[in-house]
Amino acid sequence: MSYPNKPSRPAAPRRRFTRRKGCRFCGDKTLKIDYKEIRTLRYFVSERGKIVPRRISGNCAIHQRKITAAIKRARNIALLPFTSAHNAD
Amino acid sequence: MRTYETIYIVHPEIVGDGYQAIVEKFKGILEDLKANVLKVDEWGTRKLAYPVKKQARGTYVLMAYEAAADVIAELERRMRIDENVIKFQTVLLENGYQETAPAAGETEGAEDAEEEVEDNE
Repeated sequence: MSYPNKPSRPAAPRRRFTRRKGCRFCGDKTLKIDYKEIRTLRYFVSERGKIVPRRISGNCAIHQRKITAAIKRARNIALLPFTSAHNAD
Repeated sequence: MRTYETIYIVHPEIVGDGYQAIVEKFKGILEDLKANVLKVDEWGTRKLAYPVKKQARGTYVLMAYEAAADVIAELERRMRIDENVIKFQTVLLENGYQETAPAAGETEGAEDAEEEVEDNE
């Protein structure tokens, strides 16, 4: 989110698109990352079933690693899709 | 002894007594192997994210237990033999067993209704 017209003011008050920054798991310690809780994991999976990268999800490195491991486990046991291509009838 | 968690998917057409027999069978296997079964959680029938053995849905069962490492190999060997188990996964719980809310499927209500219909047949 860089605006070339105003490079000299990093914390400009008129930021038009505010995206939530920071890791949501660091902010809320009660949130658990578990491969069985697909409702949490769905948030970190694109429509195609890909894992959302850290620069977009905003996760810290530790939690992104845990999310990735959890998604892969969930995929293994058919809770999450590997891809949207093999949709069942 | 370590704490493990095995989640397995039973064939969706196995319902009623046949299904209960499978759940009891694997629980019994664990007890025979001197594992301490902490919890057996039946999630019910839900849609699979992708077809497994040509089935679009399956019945999930989750078992949490304390066991020695060689128990896992034997349990998984027996699961491979059983044709009614279409998929399984064992995970080591590093922080021990913690009670968590069961992951409810988005279509849980619809699934349950259908299961009852099948029971009535």
